[in-house]
Amino acid sequence: MDEKKNQYSRRDILRHGVWGACAAGVAGTGAILASKSRGQKYVWQIDPYKCTACGNCATFCVLQESAVKCVHAYAMCGYCDLCTGYYRPEPKELNTAAENQLCPRGAIKRTYVEDPYFEYTIDETKCNGCGKCVMGCTSFGNGSLFLQIRHDRCVGCNECAIAIACPENAIVRVPAEEPYLLKDRR
Amino acid sequence: MEIWRNDLNYRQGKIDSGVWAGVVITIAIAAGFCAVLFFDTTGQKGSGLSEEYVYDISQYTKIDPAMILYRQAGPTIAAGLKSTKAIAVRGEIYIAGDKEIIVVDGAGKAKRKITLDAEPTCITLKEDGTIVVGMGDALVVINPEGQERTRWAVEEANARLTSVALSPEIIFAADAVNGLIYEYDWAGKLIRTIGQKSDGKGKNGFVIPSPYFDIAMAPDGLLRVVDPGRHLIVAYTINGDREWSWGTATPAIEGFSGCCNPVNFAILPDGSFVTIEKGLVRVKVYDAEGKFIGVVAGAEQLEWTQQQQVCNTPEQCQSKGFDVAVDNDGRIYVLDTVKNVVRIFEKK
Repeated sequence: MDEKKNQYSRRDILRHGVWGACAAGVAGTGAILASKSRGQKYVWQIDPYKCTACGNCATFCVLQESAVKCVHAYAMCGYCDLCTGYYRPEPKELNTAAENQLCPRGAIKRTYVEDPYFEYTIDETKCNGCGKCVMGCTSFGNGSLFLQIRHDRCVGCNECAIAIACPENAIVRVPAEEPYLLKDRR
Repeated sequence: MEIWRNDLNYRQGKIDSGVWAGVVITIAIAAGFCAVLFFDTTGQKGSGLSEEYVYDISQYTKIDPAMILYRQAGPTIAAGLKSTKAIAVRGEIYIAGDKEIIVVDGAGKAKRKITLDAEPTCITLKEDGTIVVGMGDALVVINPEGQERTRWAVEEANARLTSVALSPEIIFAADAVNGLIYEYDWAGKLIRTIGQKSDGKGKNGFVIPSPYFDIAMAPDGLLRVVDPGRHLIVAYTINGDREWSWGTATPAIEGFSGCCNPVNFAILPDGSFVTIEKGLVRVKVYDAEGKFIGVVAGAEQLEWTQQQQVCNTPEQCQSKGFDVAVDNDGRIYVLDTVKNVVRIFEKK
């Protein structure tokens, strides 16, 4: 009698097998999802095609000096002599005198290439991400100057203060493997 | 005795912990209210940056009403296209965009439609109604009935044709990417190229920072070419010899603003010029020698009264230069490539 009690019927084996398979499946799926979520890390970034350079990036970042900086897509740049991202709307002369420059911090460097072309580079130690040059370049030029969150500075807040303050919802989550949204010739 | 001790404790400044908790909660609630009322966490009150950080071109958007010499004639015409690119006029209005050419009359009534196999980038019309369309790097000749007669591709790599002009024997095509003007016969044979740096005629070539490079044939038989990076309109012979130029770089009304303007132009029957600028969108008239005459329309006349500029997004700012055409009666047809509409202006 006892021997009979200890024996499993085929039905029992089948029932326990199905339950075991289900449990293994659920556990496996969970493990896969968990490993995927651990592997895919996201960071904050500005979509340059939505950004209107409103200035909020300069003041709403939790850092004293914003993590947002102006960057330059050289492939798009016209290397203009009269660069509207570098010069005030009506400069007295096209030279590097401070009175002619648009950037309040003098964060853009103008370098002669060949007549009539000039290269413009951003000094990130001076740039505060106000976007004034971006407005000038976008309005009149071809938009090669634009704003990006620099990940050597960004502290990766769970809820980005600039994203909340962005009127255009231009700040988005991007995969950490490709943390920049760069402009190109369209 | 116990009562006396409690009373003494109270007098000595010891407060019940419940009172402390109440005070802390009250302060926290008050602080919360202050935060909601006084702190702008959503950025709706602006950046708080000083005036020095504000990009302000509003003073240049104001146009003296006495300078506006034209008024809109008739209703605004909806092109019926999602993305308009270019306009030409010869009796009827030809609007190129999407993968079509829409032909409408002066009242905006649709007459016919010509389907293309690619997006047009420029258009012009011959006296007999033949249509010449640029489509990226290809030129297509279409007969007045709308049938394609011939086409050929530009040999230069990455070419983008942004303007075509015609003489009885020659088709001129402007390539904004390579900064060159190609002269073809009507069979598509390349005759010569204008603007190469080494030819000694185009001087230092053309400076084209953004994808606008317009040309037109003037009544004096010379080709007019915009050198946008130098803010000039240059006269060339059909042999490619540079003759003279005019134009001034300034945001003031009499000049061309920004890095690279005008983006497009047309030539009136009397030889005067109608120019269109991007950035500060202004339609203006200059005489045949380049002297500023007056304004056709500014942002307000183009019904962009709420904004200084006619673009909302960076993409619109960069890629939506308006186009212009004129008819034999001196009417001016402005194609608003953002709203995809045509406005006709006539002299007051």
